[in-house]
Amino acid sequence: MFCSQCGANNTDTAAVCMQCGRSLQAGPPATPLQPAGVLQPGVVQPAPVAVQNYLVFAILATVLCCLPAGIPAIVYAAQVNGKLQMGDVAGAQLASKNAKMWCLISAGLGLGVGLIYGVLVMVGLLSGIHSN
Amino acid sequence: MQDRRRNQLLAALLAAIAVGAVLLEVFDPATSGIFPPCPVRYLTGWYCPGCGSLRAIHQLLHGNLRAAWALNPLTVVLLPFLTYGLAAFALFKLREQELPQPYLRASWIRALCVVIILFGIARNLPVHPFDLLAPGMAALR
Repeated sequence: MFCSQCGANNTDTAAVCMQCGRSLQAGPPATPLQPAGVLQPGVVQPAPVAVQNYLVFAILATVLCCLPAGIPAIVYAAQVNGKLQMGDVAGAQLASKNAKMWCLISAGLGLGVGLIYGVLVMVGLLSGIHSN
Repeated sequence: MQDRRRNQLLAALLAAIAVGAVLLEVFDPATSGIFPPCPVRYLTGWYCPGCGSLRAIHQLLHGNLRAAWALNPLTVVLLPFLTYGLAAFALFKLREQELPQPYLRASWIRALCVVIILFGIARNLPVHPFDLLAPGMAALR
C-alpha cells in the first residue's frame, strides 16, 4: 500500500505510514498523532489509529529520574509504533498501556526516593540541632 | 468528571515540573544537597545515563552550555525535544491545541534506546575517550 501523503511503500496491513505517520486506513484523512480517545462534541471521530506511546515521559524518566524503569517504557514506546506500522492496533494499545505503566512505576519510584531522601534530610537536620 | 480530575492531575504534574525548574535554577545540585542523589549511583557506584542531568540543567539555565555538556551531553541533546514533546502533550490535553508532531519509526525509537544504554555503559569505562562522558568537568580541560 502506498501512502497518499509521501508515497512510501508500506505493508498492506499497516495502520499508519512508516515514513510519515499518516493514517493509512480508509475514511477521513490523517488523524494527527495525538492521544486517542479525546472526543470533541459535534465532530465525527475518525478511526482511532493514533495510539499514545508516552515516549517523552519514558525518556524523561530514564534521563532525569536516573531510573532503569524508564528503559522498558522506551522499549514499549517503540513497540507501540512498531505495531501501528504492522497494522496491529490492538497490540499497539496493549503496548501503550505497558509503556504508561512503566512510566508510572518510574515516577512512583522517583517520588519514593525523593520522599525518603527528604525524610533523611529532615532527620539529619533535627539530629544536628539536638547535638549542638 | 473524570476528564476534570485528569486535567487537575496533569496541571499538578506541570506545576511540579515548573517548581522543579525554579529550584534547579536557584540551587546547584552539585553543591546544595536539596536534590536526592541518583539512586543507581548511590546503590551501585556506577553512573547511569541520567547522572549529571540535574546539574546539567542547572548549568543550562545559567547559560553555561559547555559545563552542561561536560556533565551530561545526552541531556543537552535530548532536552529541546523533551521540552517540545511535553509542551505538545500539555497543550493538547489542556487546550486541545495540536502542535505538529513528527512520527518516529519504531526502529528509530529502538536505536535511541540502544544509544541511551550504550551511553550509560561507556561513561563508566575508565579508558580515555570514554571517561570524558562521565559527569564532571574533565571534558573542559
